[in-house]
Amino acid sequence: MTDLLASIEGSALAAWTRESPSIWAYSTILTLHTFGLAIVAGANAVIDFRLLGVAPRIPVAALPPLFPIMWWAFALNFITGILLFMADATARAGQLVFYVKLAMIALALLVTIAVAKSLRREAGAIDATIPSHLRMLAMLSLVLWTAAIVAGRLLAYQ
Amino acid sequence: MTVLDAFVQWLQGTPLSLWINQSTWVWPLCETLHFIGLSLLLGVTGFFDLRLIGFFKRVSVAAAKDLMPLALIGFGINAATGVVFLIGLPGQYVHNRIWWFKVGFILLAGLNALLYEGRWSAKALALTPGADTPGSLKLIGVVSLASWLAVLYCGRMLPFLGDAF
Repeated sequence: MTDLLASIEGSALAAWTRESPSIWAYSTILTLHTFGLAIVAGANAVIDFRLLGVAPRIPVAALPPLFPIMWWAFALNFITGILLFMADATARAGQLVFYVKLAMIALALLVTIAVAKSLRREAGAIDATIPSHLRMLAMLSLVLWTAAIVAGRLLAYQ
Repeated sequence: MTVLDAFVQWLQGTPLSLWINQSTWVWPLCETLHFIGLSLLLGVTGFFDLRLIGFFKRVSVAAAKDLMPLALIGFGINAATGVVFLIGLPGQYVHNRIWWFKVGFILLAGLNALLYEGRWSAKALALTPGADTPGSLKLIGVVSLASWLAVLYCGRMLPFLGDAF
């Protein structure tokens, strides 16, 4: 395992990401990761707060077009996240908070997919009162995406 | 520049600045809150701006505006934590031109929002769901979205583009 991590970190791509003085290497990859984070967590927050009862004049049925935006932003963060991991593979793999972050993202994704499916099925019928299972999912989504941000941020300090 | 230098020196010597720097948890906590705040701010204003530009037409502008208090909370969190960073390491920011660009884009976004409130808000809030927005509102939406994305870009690129780190 240590060998594998070391070889990932030693690869040309990892070395370029980490060491290139180019503005397009580490700094841009990190910035794209931040853009993606803002879009994923921000669009989720819009949906989640609406489902929790904020801004009831927004039709729930109008929200699903936010999901493709989120999936694209998530794909961006998946790719940039892999590059950032490769650049510091041995250090990251030794950080507990890194695994916490991955677990939060996995759980948050499952919850967001469940919200997306639920809205696709019943969005037209739920404007007046939000069913309790959707409110629960919205609350979970807010907590889990926030936890993913916290864990990600703390990676820089542990 | 000398007045600014004197101010930076004075600020760096204050007990508050020293405390921010010596604490192991203040900086990470504020950075984390800053990221949560930016997500809230960008998510909510982004949604509103997209409506002004002409997406999400089934949502009336008035309904989209109902989320705006959340964006203000996000902005408040980031203004407060931003001030903590500035007090902690003033030289790192005021001697970095990218930081001034960031401040400039925040002001641009603010002036754009004031223009919206002063000249266009009543017209926008009267639009029914499904109604398209006039070109001036689309422009306000584009300026807002572009400014906030530029704020995020300058903030994240501060350590890499500037010369004070």
